[in-house]
Amino acid sequence: MEIILEDFTKRFGEVTVIEKMNLKIREGELLALLGPSGCGKSTTLFTICGIHRVDGGRVLFGDQDVSRVPAQQRNVGVVFQSYALYPHMSVFENIAFPLTVRKEHKNTIREKVAEIAELVHIGELLKRRPEQLSGGQQQRVALARALVRKPSILLLDEPLANLDAKLRLEMRSEIRRIQLETRISAVLVTHDQVEAMSMSDRIAIMKEGEILQVASPTEMYQQPINDFVAGFLGNPPIAFLDAHVQEGEIHLLNRKIQFNFPGSSMPTNGTKIRLGIRPEHYQPNNPIQIPGTISFVETQGRENLYDVMLDDGSILRSIQSSATESIEKSAQVLWGIQPDKVLIFDQAGNRI
Amino acid sequence: MKAALAELQIELTPYQINTLSQAAYTGWVWTTDNFHKMTILPETKQILFNTIIYVTFTLLLFNVGFALVLAIATFYLPKGQAGIFRALWLLPRISPSVLYVVLWKWLTWDTGFLNAILNPLGVAQRNWMLDTTLNAWVFVVLINGFIGASMGMILFSSAITAIPKPLLYASEVDGANRWQQIRFIILPQLKWPILFVTVYQCLSLLTSFEQILLSTDGGPGSTTEVWALAAYHNALDNYWGNLQYGYGAALALVLVVIGVIMSFIFLRFFRFQELVRQPRIEQ
Amino acid sequence: MSQNFKNWPILTALVLATVPIVLMYSYLVLDTVTNTEPGGILPSSFTLEHWRFLYENIEGKANIWQVTLNTLVFASSVMLLVLSVSSTAGYALSRLNIPFRREFLAGVLILHAFPSITLIIAIFLILQLIGLYNTLIGVIIVMTSLQLPLGIWIMKGFYDSVPWEIEMAGLQDGASRFTVWYHLVLPQVRPGIIALGVFSFLSGWGEYILPTVLAPANNVQVLSGYLASLIADDRNFEFNLFKSVGLFYATPVVIMYLFFQDKLMNIYGGGTKG
Repeated sequence: MEIILEDFTKRFGEVTVIEKMNLKIREGELLALLGPSGCGKSTTLFTICGIHRVDGGRVLFGDQDVSRVPAQQRNVGVVFQSYALYPHMSVFENIAFPLTVRKEHKNTIREKVAEIAELVHIGELLKRRPEQLSGGQQQRVALARALVRKPSILLLDEPLANLDAKLRLEMRSEIRRIQLETRISAVLVTHDQVEAMSMSDRIAIMKEGEILQVASPTEMYQQPINDFVAGFLGNPPIAFLDAHVQEGEIHLLNRKIQFNFPGSSMPTNGTKIRLGIRPEHYQPNNPIQIPGTISFVETQGRENLYDVMLDDGSILRSIQSSATESIEKSAQVLWGIQPDKVLIFDQAGNRI
Repeated sequence: MKAALAELQIELTPYQINTLSQAAYTGWVWTTDNFHKMTILPETKQILFNTIIYVTFTLLLFNVGFALVLAIATFYLPKGQAGIFRALWLLPRISPSVLYVVLWKWLTWDTGFLNAILNPLGVAQRNWMLDTTLNAWVFVVLINGFIGASMGMILFSSAITAIPKPLLYASEVDGANRWQQIRFIILPQLKWPILFVTVYQCLSLLTSFEQILLSTDGGPGSTTEVWALAAYHNALDNYWGNLQYGYGAALALVLVVIGVIMSFIFLRFFRFQELVRQPRIEQ
Repeated sequence: MSQNFKNWPILTALVLATVPIVLMYSYLVLDTVTNTEPGGILPSSFTLEHWRFLYENIEGKANIWQVTLNTLVFASSVMLLVLSVSSTAGYALSRLNIPFRREFLAGVLILHAFPSITLIIAIFLILQLIGLYNTLIGVIIVMTSLQLPLGIWIMKGFYDSVPWEIEMAGLQDGASRFTVWYHLVLPQVRPGIIALGVFSFLSGWGEYILPTVLAPANNVQVLSGYLASLIADDRNFEFNLFKSVGLFYATPVVIMYLFFQDKLMNIYGGGTKG
């Protein structure tokens, strides 16, 4: 089902957390709400499921306005960050709960629970209690409980935050598999850009109650709308250099380095700009060479991450395969950037 | 029966009371007479029955039942309103008992508030607290219950607040209405606090008599005379000054035995081992 | 809570259930400064005559200020004694490796749950034997010892929640066990001390049975006894006078309660008897 937030406004007392937000979740897609903590992404999620109510605007499920409909009647499946499994009930009772409170027939409940347990691979755990399960298993139970009622939409609130690194990888693909198999519209709230990029069809990136950009992961990575988005996506993060425009050329580092402005909408002479350069685009064999001194080396196994300090004290990052010979700290390097891969922002941070 | 001791205060000097008490105390003698007496006196059956009624009704209706209602109801209210109700329901507990009980008397006596309201409606004037046994019981339970409800209310309230919020949210998006949320999520989480309050308050009620002493004083007749009050009356507050320390003490001893047994049961609830863990310094 | 439920049914039910309390306490205040016609519901005239007990003695009764002083001495002494013993004993039981610690704790715990009022007959006789009957000191000692199991238990609970690391750090820094307790741990349990202090004061202030039974004489009378004697006096009973004395008696309690409400919740929830 298609979900639409229309001019959605949310206040807590005097504080307006979200003002006039618009967002559309397409039928069958997994949309990630990505942003730093406190940006209002969980508030948005809780509003969709009805735990919070809108203070302005509307929430539409298909063409039905559910803004004033209590959570009980919205038929939304939610997986909470802490999973919120009912500790005094068995796994079966937990999954069956949404059906029990709807007073469905016992046999129907048993069939539906069995079916969903099969889907999330916990068929053999039904008799256990939540505290006897591992984190990943609890996660699966929570998923099953959210899905068993065939919800209009599935909401996932930081579903991987409480898992250790290895399980996180596993559950990442599991959640995606289950979502694809059920073809259910889903919203994933997360502060982890890797999670958002790897799991979702589209990402909506949020900051201070506002949606900055909605796009597919690749598009957002390559064409960020501003420096915040560019900085939030990508690990190791993008590096920024100050520069200015002079007669169709970009000058940086006290004019020592100059190259042609790559885009078409050229700013006027003397405009101050910021260059965003991703670590994978500052490499030994690129055309525009920028000299510097290695100030920090981080070994990541498959790759090495280098921080390179330039003459004026600014830092560029480079990530290189560790198969090549590794470079010591304090070594002088002359690596280069590729003009068409450089992201250019104005002083306000907006992409030019 | 009159509140004899209170009257003694007016009519006798302390010296006289002292003399009287000493005269009544017969010195040490080993005897089981008092226990024998306890088993044959018909009053014993009566006070046993009274005690059971008193404890059962007060405990179930107020100390646990109404305390649960209060805790759950205030939980669903906005903070400000909830605070007002909790504060109001704590008033009976913090008020000095003498004052508190007399407020009930003001409500129920011949010239009291109830009569002032009901008289114009054609209801005959009477002492609502003492005119029938049933009424006496109703008010004994109410007077004690209004005090008793607050402990359960506080304990249950904090237990409910301790339930993780997502659990409640989850049940709401899972479709539970309020009654289902209470029944399936909140009450199961209160299992231990309920057990705790039940045992603890059962013990307290068994041995408490202050409010009954001040309100009905066991009356009318001795229809609301409970075990602890009987012990007090026999030993310390006999109308004729014929104080029977021995018999009163024997009655109290029964309560002491029950108290010790229940306290031990209590230890099990408390998970004693955990509470007496060894210190981590100077092992 | 969340907006998925309506409030008004609950609010209505609670308001109805609370009517008796509101009635009783608002009339308590109202009646002290008014007169009501016999059989009337609303007061008919304003008066201060019910407060005359403040400046003149009521026939056959002790002086109110003497009685108030007695009550104050009684309640404060109980508070100080309970505090000093509980704050040290609680620490010892929580943190020191003393002999018979387990047994002592079990004793405290049982006494804590145990209804001490059943002991009153025995206590009455003992006080007579040792000559403390009809003295304030006697009642203070008895009241304190009956309060101690609860006090020690509560303080132990507060000490238990202080992180061990604070003490370990203190010892590493070269402080003695006493210094550690006094300068490092005691400040951490201040909420407990305040709560217990207020609680014991209020218990002493409101206690009726112990003073009445163990020290009934006029010169050691406390407010609860004074109040009870007013109502037991059938010859010239006056409800509004009684309420004025009652309000005079209850006001400090209510004020202290309002001030320390949050801190007191701990104890009223966890430990009281009755």
